[in-house]
Amino acid sequence: MQLRPASFVLTGVLLLISAPVFAAGEEIYQVEPGFKLVPAIIMVTLLCVYIGVGFLSKVNETSGYWVAGRGIGKYGNGAAIASDWMSAASFMGVAGLLYLKGWFGLGYIIGWTGGYVLLLCLLAAQIAAAVTVIIAITYATAQFKGIGLICAWIFGMNYTASVFFAAGVVCAYMLISGMAGVTRNQQIQYVVLISAFIIPLWVLIRKAGGTGILPQLEYGSILSGLMQGKVAAGHLAAAEAEKVREAYLPWGGGNFYQFIALVFTLMVGTAGLPHIMIRFYTVKNEDVARKSVLWGLFFIGLLYWSSPVYAAMGRFWNPLGGQAVADVIILSAPEKAGLGIAFIGYLASGAMAAGLSTVAGLLVAGASAIAHDWYATVFKPDCTDRQALLVGRIFTALLCGIVILTALNPPALIAQIVAMAFAIAGNTIFPAVVLAVWYGKANKYGALAGMVWGLGMTLLAMAGWIAKIPFFGAEGLLPATSSALIVCPLAFLINIVVSNLTQSRVSDESADKMDNILRKLHNLPAKGEEKPAGEGAFGQ
Amino acid sequence: MTNKERVQVNFFRPSAGPIKREVTIAGTIILFWALLSFGIPTLIYLAGRGDPSGLGESILTRARLFGFPLHYWLVAQGCTIGYVLLCKLYCVLWDKRAAKR
Repeated sequence: MQLRPASFVLTGVLLLISAPVFAAGEEIYQVEPGFKLVPAIIMVTLLCVYIGVGFLSKVNETSGYWVAGRGIGKYGNGAAIASDWMSAASFMGVAGLLYLKGWFGLGYIIGWTGGYVLLLCLLAAQIAAAVTVIIAITYATAQFKGIGLICAWIFGMNYTASVFFAAGVVCAYMLISGMAGVTRNQQIQYVVLISAFIIPLWVLIRKAGGTGILPQLEYGSILSGLMQGKVAAGHLAAAEAEKVREAYLPWGGGNFYQFIALVFTLMVGTAGLPHIMIRFYTVKNEDVARKSVLWGLFFIGLLYWSSPVYAAMGRFWNPLGGQAVADVIILSAPEKAGLGIAFIGYLASGAMAAGLSTVAGLLVAGASAIAHDWYATVFKPDCTDRQALLVGRIFTALLCGIVILTALNPPALIAQIVAMAFAIAGNTIFPAVVLAVWYGKANKYGALAGMVWGLGMTLLAMAGWIAKIPFFGAEGLLPATSSALIVCPLAFLINIVVSNLTQSRVSDESADKMDNILRKLHNLPAKGEEKPAGEGAFGQ
Repeated sequence: MTNKERVQVNFFRPSAGPIKREVTIAGTIILFWALLSFGIPTLIYLAGRGDPSGLGESILTRARLFGFPLHYWLVAQGCTIGYVLLCKLYCVLWDKRAAKR
């Protein structure tokens, strides 16, 4: 009940099971009204820590606001990547998803981890401003709604008041501290949320008959038992056992094509998410940037190695529950393990931390897209650092306002729109950025054409899904949640073709600019310096 | 435009030495990434084609590793551990490249 944020995003990503969930969330928080002292104390303490850290990391320079003064190390940045990410989709949703979909649900796990490999070896570049803002608002809205529900549960406030309360906290520490504060807080938040997530597992695995040494490996035998119909209550009847077995067989939840399309979409989407990309710039140098992706992925892995355990435990105790059970898997776990109200308060704070850190990261990414990429580059190139910083802060507050308004009155289809964030990122940002880094001829016309195609097709697939056109449905050729397998490669192609066609229209000046950027990205000597003597001069 | 030398970057036709090495590293990683991400599901698919129910039951789903059904372990933990190792490999290759320079 208190852990809604991740689940809201995830339900979006899922789509298949989205409709009833919003209603469920609100119901649950209305079921238990009133002020809860212990969770409230824990929550307020943590909030004070966040704001205190934000205040202590106060910055005065633009670069400090956006990229944390580039002074964050590989572990810290890795934890921040993980914290940014985990709030986005994973805190409780993945376990519920795996519970419902069995083996097929693992597609989400490899999709969301494999994307980082792509991100690491392909990307280190500019972000497309407009799309960043859209994604930032969409994502942050869902997070605010989740935060609102948590506050409502703990403090007994109504939903509107708690959205404002949450927004106040986010704005306060972000405006004070910018990226440095956000990044430091994300490190704390990572520790809070991963510990809240993992600790109950040890108790649970013992209750299920394991030795309680390493739950992530021990649940294997429980899983194998499940496939043979062995559950907590004994043996399942033949028909029920068959259902459980089906869920854990490869194609019980969807066919091969659907699996590959889903995995591909999530991967390119992950690699294209703006608030993850911006993390590349929060470090001293490229070396640390690379290593922080490694650590970020490892920290995310800790979560993803654990969430299937929850799902298997859920099956073990409640083999045939539906959506309602899946939603509260993570919640019911500490209850089942007998960990008490204080721990649930801690867990709620973890979820809250998850929501806050993502909102903060997103708003910084969105505002920096406007203030840095647009205001300081296009609109007023000769502005001072102070002015750019001011504009950045104004836009942070403005974006925050827009998100509050949307969260107070979420459009009916917000879950679906959030789901599209991955497809949008994968179909628009990913091809444009990859080509900008790896294809010297790519120009703005090509990028624009590719992005228009990607965005248009994603929205079309979405509309088709809502209109229940089979072609865009879960069983169709171009499911809205998995459209990138087809759309993304075409976006690459369009970008390349248009770039070549419009080559003559690129001004000398902008070609020079692009040239400089490419030299920097690939560590080539600047123009005028000694050029490499050609192929193979340095050996392979 | 003729008097200005511009960098030519093309992933599939890398020109300058440093870029060529970059592409070699990225290409290696992407190859392994694709093998993990799409190779393993394909393997499970191919192995399970004999199952008349279409659910993909095969030697891979019957085999056990650490108590897990093999097909489950491969995707749930094999792939993700593989990704972390790939990131590590990338960092190592990159450091090596930097040392050579």
